[in-house]
Amino acid sequence: MLKFLFRKEQQFQELITKYLDNLRRTQEHFEKAMDCYFDFGLGENCDFLIEQTHKFESRADDLRNEIEEMMYSKVLIPESRGDILRLLESIDLIPTHFETVLFMIQGQKLKVPDFITLDFRELMRLSLECCDLVIRQVEAYFKKSENIKPLVSTIDSLESRCDHIEREIVRKIFASDLNPFEKLQLKELVVQMGEISDQADRVSRSVHIINIKRRV
Amino acid sequence: MNSLLGGIFLGWSLGANDAANVFGSAVSSRMVKFWTAAILAAVFVLIGALVAGQSGIKTLEGLTNFTINQAIIASVAAACTVTLMTLLGLPVSVSQAVVGAILGIGLLNRQVNFAGLEKVVLCWVGTPVGGLVLGIIVYKLLAATANGMNLNIFQSDITLRLCLIVAGSYGAYALGANNVANVTAVFVGAGMLNLSAATLIGGLSIGLGIFTFSKGVMETVGKKLVRLDPFSALVVVLAQAITVHIYALIGVPVSTSQALIGAILGVGIIKGVNTIRRRTLLHIFLAWFLTPFVACLFALSLDFATHLRYIPGQ
Repeated sequence: MLKFLFRKEQQFQELITKYLDNLRRTQEHFEKAMDCYFDFGLGENCDFLIEQTHKFESRADDLRNEIEEMMYSKVLIPESRGDILRLLESIDLIPTHFETVLFMIQGQKLKVPDFITLDFRELMRLSLECCDLVIRQVEAYFKKSENIKPLVSTIDSLESRCDHIEREIVRKIFASDLNPFEKLQLKELVVQMGEISDQADRVSRSVHIINIKRRV
Repeated sequence: MNSLLGGIFLGWSLGANDAANVFGSAVSSRMVKFWTAAILAAVFVLIGALVAGQSGIKTLEGLTNFTINQAIIASVAAACTVTLMTLLGLPVSVSQAVVGAILGIGLLNRQVNFAGLEKVVLCWVGTPVGGLVLGIIVYKLLAATANGMNLNIFQSDITLRLCLIVAGSYGAYALGANNVANVTAVFVGAGMLNLSAATLIGGLSIGLGIFTFSKGVMETVGKKLVRLDPFSALVVVLAQAITVHIYALIGVPVSTSQALIGAILGVGIIKGVNTIRRRTLLHIFLAWFLTPFVACLFALSLDFATHLRYIPGQ
């Protein structure tokens, strides 16, 4: 009956859902692009998937702007607005990292050597798992659909594993016979890939703190 | 009608200042629009004055007997005290100023109802203490309810906003019920107004103050005292409103500012933080002691001044 009073809140909630769906699709395209790169190397298909990932990343920016505009039109109380804006800024770095990894591979025509391919794919798999969980956690925060705390510790332990794999890959790169320039390029790529799980962990902690802050 | 102007002025300044105690934090934090707050505050002040304002008037008019001139002097003395204390930057209580002025008139008439005065002074002590205790109780109860409800961010924000509006309206009702006596009790004592007219004129003048001059005060008071989170602001407004309402039922006008400060201290105790600076507290206590004496002195001086006669030189 009182739905008309809370129309803005309803629209805001729908926008958040759209934003998270878009984040999922960016992630799906990133994963497809990476799989395509590992299976077939750079080429038309891979370029198409990189382009798609970029489109979804841009769409995420547009949606974020829309959400920000809506928030300034008095949706949510001022205290919540600041928290949500900071949270969105933080989440938005995840698709940016997806895009950066793909652009590095595409722009610098990087070739991941066989001796680190498995580790690299494992790092990617775990990073994407972190992202899945973080999206679930953000959804749970907005909808109160499940307990957030267990997700925080799962993401934290996944992030630790990612850090470990990242260090291992870097060690292998510098122990190899590759030329120094290639080593630095690959190290940069691995660090950039590791940033995905780091960022997911940062988002997860922010959600946890915002959630605690709201308890009285 | 002209003789009522002193009372109407007092009511106007009361509305301009004290509406901030009920809607200040909600308006200054942009959770409620000023005009929404002003309309609700004015309407509920009037309802409070009409429905439950009579017992306070009976208490104050019973403190002494007035002539019409003395009634005017009492309200002007109270208004001057409020202005002076405000200029000095001290948090002033209109109730204390009015009672101090009435007491001054009572001393001149050599007729003070000490039993009534004792009740009033006891209630003054009880106001900040009541605000503090209720602040703690209301915080505990509301926190348990809020945490138990498991609302999402949208639901809890909407609930909080609605609760602030409801608590503010209730606070305005309590303000009208309790403080209307400050505005027009002396005129009832002087036989110028009956109870119904006194509550109506008092309520309307407080409402006028809210409409015309409370915006700036609401926006500054909410920020000046202490930055409260929205939940604490709700607790403070509700605790203050309950305290003031209880005293309205007892029939003693008290200071909404003192009830508010008590409630803020209560929230501070619960949260384990200093919600009010020591200097502010010192000012409050200073004003608490000074206001009735200054008002009494003003009333005596004004009465003396009105009795001066020019005697041409012989």
